Amino acid sequence: MTPQSEQWRDAPDAALLRAYAGGDMTAAHALSTRLVPRILAQATRMLADRAEAEDVAQDAMMRLWKIAPDWREDEAKVTTWVYRVTSNLCTDRLRKRRSVPLDQIAEPVDPHQSVTGQMQNTARLTALADALAQLPAKQARAVALRHLEGLSNPEIADVMDMSVRAVESLTARGKRALADILRGRKAALGYDDDET
Amino acid sequence: MTKPDMLDDLFELARDQSAAPDDALMDRILADAADVTRGGHAARVSVWDSFLEMIGGWPTVGGLAAAGVAGIWVGVAPPETLTIWTADLIGTPVTIDLLSDTSGLFSQGQIDG
Repeated sequence: MTPQSEQWRDAPDAALLRAYAGGDMTAAHALSTRLVPRILAQATRMLADRAEAEDVAQDAMMRLWKIAPDWREDEAKVTTWVYRVTSNLCTDRLRKRRSVPLDQIAEPVDPHQSVTGQMQNTARLTALADALAQLPAKQARAVALRHLEGLSNPEIADVMDMSVRAVESLTARGKRALADILRGRKAALGYDDDET
Repeated sequence: MTKPDMLDDLFELARDQSAAPDDALMDRILADAADVTRGGHAARVSVWDSFLEMIGGWPTVGGLAAAGVAGIWVGVAPPETLTIWTADLIGTPVTIDLLSDTSGLFSQGQIDG
């Protein structure tokens, strides 16, 4: 943590946002240090693309800067808002991938060739992101928040502004759909039947 | 049916991804923050400001106002030379009273629906 951020160490996110809205750039620095790693990680998990994830992080933070003067602390937590905006921006980008047929993206790595584990991991992560892109946006968001971010169903309900029951239904359907989409790519991704 | 282990493995793989932002990204984000602040926070542009910008700002408004006043003045008190010039150009104006034949009807209420 930089000296600039140190003075804000124990301040709540909303206080930092308020200070930034008042023109304090050290608060913006502290808030960025706190939130950007989280946003970038969330976007990277959903998109499996570093450059796109950085664009999402910058876009999400820009929206936060713009909304700062109107921020109402009684309506939402900053982190909840950030999860929401980031997952929306990610599904927007995933939707654009839908125009590409699934068999033309995430060229699978043949696990029987001498490829590195890293290459196979990359292929798997890309395949997961491409499969998420095939889901309806709400399902993709719910599944990602549940299984990639590890949020609880009530937390997801807050982020997505819906009931816990609706979240449970979305995540269950989303997970089943993901499994169906990825079924045909199992061997190509190195998941042989006898291994799993 | 795909066994759940495959999906769980993919989820775990994704969760393990670390993505620390580099300095360049942080610099871009803080530059955005500074820009937004410099722009009067959120650069709230009113409809009037947008209109002004669209037509070219206050100098244009001044020109439009002057032209409007001049037009009104010409309409109220046209210079004699203008009347002569327009008469030469488009002929002498003739006034036709289209209601002259029916004005009686209106006043006597004899028009049936």
